[in-house]
Amino acid sequence: MKRSVTAVLVGAAAFVALAFLVLPVVAIFLHTTPSHLIDQLSSSVVTDALVVTLETSLIAQALIVLLGTPTAYLLATRRFRARSLAITLVELPLVLPPAVAGIGLLTAFGRSGLLGTSIPFTKAAVVLAVAFVSSPLYVRQAIAAFEAVDPDLVSASRTLGAGTARTFFRIVLPLARTGLAAGLALSLARGIGEFGATIMFAGSLQGVTQTIPLAIYAEFGAGHFDAAVAMSAVLVLFSIVLLLTLRFLLSWPRSSSTRSWFRFGPSTSG
Amino acid sequence: MKLAVAAAALALLVVSSASPAPQARLTVFAAASLTDVLPKIDRSPRYSFAGSNQLAAQIQQGAPADVFAAANMTLPRQLASKHLCSKPVVFARNKLVVIVPPTNPARLRRVADLARNGVKVLVAQPGVPVGTYTAQVLRALHLYERVMANVVSKETDVRGVVAKIVLGEADAGFVYATDAKAVRDDLKVIAIPASAEPGINYGICVVAAGGHAGDARVFVKKVLSRAGQRKLRSYGFVPRR
Repeated sequence: MKRSVTAVLVGAAAFVALAFLVLPVVAIFLHTTPSHLIDQLSSSVVTDALVVTLETSLIAQALIVLLGTPTAYLLATRRFRARSLAITLVELPLVLPPAVAGIGLLTAFGRSGLLGTSIPFTKAAVVLAVAFVSSPLYVRQAIAAFEAVDPDLVSASRTLGAGTARTFFRIVLPLARTGLAAGLALSLARGIGEFGATIMFAGSLQGVTQTIPLAIYAEFGAGHFDAAVAMSAVLVLFSIVLLLTLRFLLSWPRSSSTRSWFRFGPSTSG
Repeated sequence: MKLAVAAAALALLVVSSASPAPQARLTVFAAASLTDVLPKIDRSPRYSFAGSNQLAAQIQQGAPADVFAAANMTLPRQLASKHLCSKPVVFARNKLVVIVPPTNPARLRRVADLARNGVKVLVAQPGVPVGTYTAQVLRALHLYERVMANVVSKETDVRGVVAKIVLGEADAGFVYATDAKAVRDDLKVIAIPASAEPGINYGICVVAAGGHAGDARVFVKKVLSRAGQRKLRSYGFVPRR
């Protein structure tokens, strides 16, 4: 008897929690008809914001992969004195409020900042803001992925005569790739949602620095609630796709890729 | 047992939040340009300062405000026509000015200089009252197209413009005279020709949904009182006629 009461309460709590989380998302789609939603998406504010978001996100994530992958590999495989300090520094932007990130970027790259550049108010400023706040998500995941690679495989490869670069690209990277992809997906999701640092460091100008989150805020403020809803719907759909991708990637059995290396490895590396 | 209590508490929370519970304190939604002065007139309410348009949008969405103090008459009139707030009255007037960083990196002397190539200009986004006033001034001066081509960012409220000019990130911005006065040591002001003055009236109204209509009216009276008007003048506002 007591047990069933508990079960009912747990079920009720779960229902309330789920309803609370799902309701705002569903409400976005119930606000207007799908055709009206699509009409809104053809306005220049929305299309410009989509293009700016895609452009800046792609560049930022490319930079993150290019610079973050070697960084993560170094931090995952080398043991040096400042290692934990370095990892803490890499992860810091993750817990920094976006407003602090904005101030930091301005004091570093602003016209009257430390480096005194003319980056603010340009697309490059958006890229920097996105890269700053989202790169820790990629690097963290990449460190974990590289750490999970069996070091015996690496030393076996080296013993068989493969150089560091060859070992990295033929052994380490294929084994770590699902982890890296998951990190990239997380980083992309965070980057596309970036708001605070961007509005402080890059400002907001249609077709130049106005990303979708900035456009949502601007359209809301300008009284164009429907356009804000339409863009929100796009971001919800995008987030769902990203999340499903992530789940798919993370449930990918690691052992299968290891096995495939054993099956195909010797012939390709020999 | 603990779980049951927790679940009951959660259920209670959900039920009680379904109908917005009246706040203990008065909530005043006010234009960002009033950030410094209103708490000096009355420091007891909870204030929410933002672009007037953002606040109007929030009130339309049912935000529990008691008073709406806007940087124009249009927004409170729109709310009043939808019976969301009382008939607005003018409680202050303001002027538009151009501000430049203290070093004046683009060497600007008059408003027309903002049309020069490569000058980085900041405005507030369309819909924010100060953004609308800026457009009016530039049209009156026949500079609209050329200056708008130099705009590097449309900020969500006037404080964003002020902050970025004080930082020296842009060369010039359009703000209220009161904002310029608040940080006058950190920037220089270029006056706008009187002929192009847009006539800036601040409107205040009692918001219907707030649930503190009596206290809200007392607050409005305080703002309109001689002491309130004196305070507004000391912050650079022009008293209502």
